Amino acid sequence: MKQEKSSSSGSKALGVVFFLLGFVGALVVGWVVFPNLLYSQKAQPINFSHVAHQSEDCDSCHFLRPDGTYGGIPKLDRCKECHESAQGSSEAETKFISEYVEQNREVPWKIYTWQPDNVYFSHAPHKGQGLECTRCHRDVSKEEKLPPYRENRLDGYSISTMKMVECEKCHAEKGASNNCEMCHK
Amino acid sequence: MNFGRRAFLQFAAGAVGGSLLSPLPWQLAGDSARWSQNWSWRASPERGEVTKVSSVCTMCEGGCAIQARLVNGNRAILIEGNPANPLTEGGVCALAASGLQFFYAPYRISKPMKQQKSRGDISGFQPISWDEALSELGKKLGKLRADGKSQELAAIISHRPSSMDDLWLQFFTAYGSPNLFRMPSAADGLKLAAKFTTGNAQPFAFALGNAEYILSFGSNLFEGAGASTVALAAMRQWTKGATKLVQVESRCSMTASKADQFLPVNPGKEALLAMGIAHVMVSSGTYDVDFVKNNVFGFEDWTDSAGKKRQGFKGLVSSSAYSPEEVAKATGLDAAQIREVAKEFAGKPKALAVWAIGQPDSTNGIYHQLAFTALNALKGNLKPNGLITLSPSVPLAGLPPVEKNGAAQKEPQGGLYGLLDSITTAKNQPVEILFVHEANPLYSLPENKLFRDALAKVPMLVSFSSYMDETAAQADLILPNHTAFERYDDVLGIPGAAFSYYAVSVPILKPLQDTKHTGEALMTLAAGIGGTVGASLPWKSYEEYLKFRVDGLAQAQKGAVAEKPDVRIVKLAAGQSVQPNFSNGADLWKKLKAGNCWYDAPAAMPDFETPSGKLELAIQSIVQKVASDAADKYYLPHFEDRNLPGNEGDLPLLLVAYRPSFTAAGFYPTPPFMTKLIPDSVLKGADAFIELHPDTAAKLEFSQGELVSLKTTQGEANVRVNISAVAHPGVVYLPTGLGHEAYDNYVQNKGVNANSLMEVQLDPVGIGTVWACRAQLRRV
Amino acid sequence: MVIDLDRCTGCGACSAACQAENNISFRLDESNKLRSITWMSIFQLNNGRNYPDYRYAFLPRPCMHCDSPHHSPCTFVCPVNATTRDENNGIVTHIYPRCIGCRYCMVACPYHARDFNWWDHTWPKPMEAMLSPDVSTRMRGVVEKCTFCHQRMLAARSKAYKDGTDPDKTTYTPACADACPARAITFGNLRDPHSDVAKLSKDPNAFRILEKLHTDPKVYYISTQDWIKKLSDNALTEKS
Repeated sequence: MKQEKSSSSGSKALGVVFFLLGFVGALVVGWVVFPNLLYSQKAQPINFSHVAHQSEDCDSCHFLRPDGTYGGIPKLDRCKECHESAQGSSEAETKFISEYVEQNREVPWKIYTWQPDNVYFSHAPHKGQGLECTRCHRDVSKEEKLPPYRENRLDGYSISTMKMVECEKCHAEKGASNNCEMCHK
Repeated sequence: MNFGRRAFLQFAAGAVGGSLLSPLPWQLAGDSARWSQNWSWRASPERGEVTKVSSVCTMCEGGCAIQARLVNGNRAILIEGNPANPLTEGGVCALAASGLQFFYAPYRISKPMKQQKSRGDISGFQPISWDEALSELGKKLGKLRADGKSQELAAIISHRPSSMDDLWLQFFTAYGSPNLFRMPSAADGLKLAAKFTTGNAQPFAFALGNAEYILSFGSNLFEGAGASTVALAAMRQWTKGATKLVQVESRCSMTASKADQFLPVNPGKEALLAMGIAHVMVSSGTYDVDFVKNNVFGFEDWTDSAGKKRQGFKGLVSSSAYSPEEVAKATGLDAAQIREVAKEFAGKPKALAVWAIGQPDSTNGIYHQLAFTALNALKGNLKPNGLITLSPSVPLAGLPPVEKNGAAQKEPQGGLYGLLDSITTAKNQPVEILFVHEANPLYSLPENKLFRDALAKVPMLVSFSSYMDETAAQADLILPNHTAFERYDDVLGIPGAAFSYYAVSVPILKPLQDTKHTGEALMTLAAGIGGTVGASLPWKSYEEYLKFRVDGLAQAQKGAVAEKPDVRIVKLAAGQSVQPNFSNGADLWKKLKAGNCWYDAPAAMPDFETPSGKLELAIQSIVQKVASDAADKYYLPHFEDRNLPGNEGDLPLLLVAYRPSFTAAGFYPTPPFMTKLIPDSVLKGADAFIELHPDTAAKLEFSQGELVSLKTTQGEANVRVNISAVAHPGVVYLPTGLGHEAYDNYVQNKGVNANSLMEVQLDPVGIGTVWACRAQLRRV
Repeated sequence: MVIDLDRCTGCGACSAACQAENNISFRLDESNKLRSITWMSIFQLNNGRNYPDYRYAFLPRPCMHCDSPHHSPCTFVCPVNATTRDENNGIVTHIYPRCIGCRYCMVACPYHARDFNWWDHTWPKPMEAMLSPDVSTRMRGVVEKCTFCHQRMLAARSKAYKDGTDPDKTTYTPACADACPARAITFGNLRDPHSDVAKLSKDPNAFRILEKLHTDPKVYYISTQDWIKKLSDNALTEKS
């Protein structure tokens, strides 16, 4: 009993230690371990370099079609316009030509800002309405290689998939409609 | 140290606090919500660039201009109308709207099939290559011809007018067989009536858009998915409240419901009413006296080529048998009503009697057709600029001339039914090889038992169908055609339309399977046989053939291409000038390929090519069909009451087949999108419903929905009873388009096939008449 | 929307086109109409008289996109706000991932315009190729209904943004109006007095269904037949 009395203040301190242990541990798990576990890292099929394509306008590959839909990532035909034969000497290009161009196979790019089926995002009301691409997408102008694609193991989304709350915030700020049907169908 | 419970709890508290301040629980909550919303088994159609291809639908004779929407250029997701077309203005029927369900049908035949087991055994079909299939068939055809038995090749093709008709005729003529037949259609009767009365072998056509009073004798103008594109376009031009439509039939159909007046006649008595109206017009002198006097032969008494004096139409129709009182008795109308209608018809300047529009497979007897023609003649509608003209031809390039050898010179007697009859009754085998193209006679031929019986005596059946339909299932060899929308094809005029029309159907996608255009199959077969047959089909592809034909149209410099819907095509008058807006063949082909249609004004009624040089109401040429000592009336339009086979005591009711709103009754079966719409008073589960008048049902003591047995001379089937005042008392109405026994589970096992129960009466002049047959209903 | 019932022949093209445009599934046996999914249903009306005075007609019924005022019966009762009405264009939409399948909205809708997915959608394998990527596919357990093809509206708006024209002034037509071979369906902006649809809605023969419920439906019907109007429960009935 004596031990207990004398250890009451000590046990409190010990209690705080345990509390802190748990607290800090949880923070570490939550902020560091968990995200790394949750998101898998996947490589893109081809190591595309935006820097190597600096001579092109962004719009020459990423453009709005005449009917108002967005072209997104260019199709093989666009790449073939230059890369029917090797333009440089990189390993990535060689791989691209042999595995995709020659076999007439579309490259299965992993889209970083991918949205699920129930979301219908249209670039036309955003692009050219004073919004820069970099407002929502990463700045690729200095990218020598594509970053790894990080996919959430639980729900399949990409780590860069914009969540609805961000869309709603900007819509509210700009006075655009936040009605469900603007983005969902 | 003793780390007890308290320590653990404090650790846990810290952990909870820490994790709440970290993204972990919030992320997990969001992730599980998102995970719950993305079910992996939900279809996720691939996204991509959407493009449009304009083309023309070839699933029926309507010729609707369509646009197909494609994703990534490799799959079609929608067939919709082309708003630039002046006839359809962007509309399509339910069949075209469901068109992709045939394009992507699970019952498509993907490559040539040869039956290795016994006929009709689906499991016996083994795939073979095109080379093998065509060379084997080519050898057989070559041998048959070399043995001098060319006429033992027969073919049954679709009644939809297209350049395939001309290609088939070319092949058969060069090959030496006269046995090329089309599935029966209403146009057959119009053609025969025109041939007898005007001497020209083009079917009658009606300027529906220009009429102000339309007296429709049983025409399915507006019956749901079978409605005629021309009738619908005309309806849009009619003035509400000014244009009057009078429908004459036994059933209170959709057309009757839309009409301003409905004349409910006993089934089959429509022509008698026409005669009654003619009687009133003649006796009151309210017919076109000048036209009749100067341009009609046989109105007055006449002398035939043998010198015998015969009664004219005036004498016949004036008899008391056609008085309003007598006609009222037989038709079930009032005499006063008949007089009233006659007065209106005679009095309105642009009154037109129409028949046989929109009834795909049924015709009336020839004398019925002549009665309707006579009524129009009395009205003066067959003048050069009248409301009735002949179906205009489209001045496409004619095919290279082919010498007909002996056998091909003989015109086949009795049409398709005549052929089937000769196969069944002959002691030998008149047909060795039978081709079936864009047709499904085992299902859609009225009284299809005749086809089944004949088929048993045909050693080889070759089907060109893209689908495993009832007929294809019985084939010995299947050479699948590309489906509609996958092939080059054309729409060569629209039956019943007074204006001229031509449109080219281009493929919306490359063929999905290892199929071959039947036209190209014929070209390959012809080349294999060689000689004059090979030379008769000098094209290498169907596209080449169509370009060749369009060249002729361009050179003719007639008509114009419609790139906007600003022409009121159904209001074009006979002989109206239409300025060509295309230069040469290449230019015209480009415009047609872009999905635009070509049109021209109706052609004025040409000179009569009859023996008398006038419009013949006394048909002198009919003497070849009837006995030379036949009574005078057989030369004239008159009411020929049909003596229906079967024992009236045993089969006291009349069975009439009708086209319900949401079924497809031709070569194509009802697709799932349309089957869904069929009301449960027409089809429920596997049971079709017959319509019965409440009095008839009461007399038979049937209640709503009761399962009963329907029996005719052709067989028996179980149906359910729908008690409805739409029905004429004493008549049983059975829907068409149901009762398939092929394709797949979505199509099969739904109702009963009306064509298996109906009986056809063969007209003395050779067309099959299907209007009613005797029937019996009893409890099961 | 204005539907001219005098022109409608009950061919079903509108409903078939709607099914093709909106990825609507179908079953082997569609006899049980209570379970059929038809965003555009086609009702059959008759005048109840005996032969030969019997007449019948068809009435295509999409969702009415009610507004009574500033809410419609269905949006009012949704517990999770899965179905909402856009004040700008009047369209009532239904968001499938949010729907919990309680079917309260189906109870509330007086036009029976809503259908429930009792089963997962299945298509014969080859027909999966004809699914449109512009319309969400549904899973079992959610309600669905006509959206006035609002995916086409969004596509028209996107095009307007691209072309630099005012997206709020774009027009489009839903699949049903496009398809009708009798050209009986007119669609447009009821608020624009110059539009065809606004003019037709003022036709003396124009009426709406169940007018007395004050749901302010957006679909007008035109018919010269009194018996059709009487069946639709509108002010005409109260007068006569």
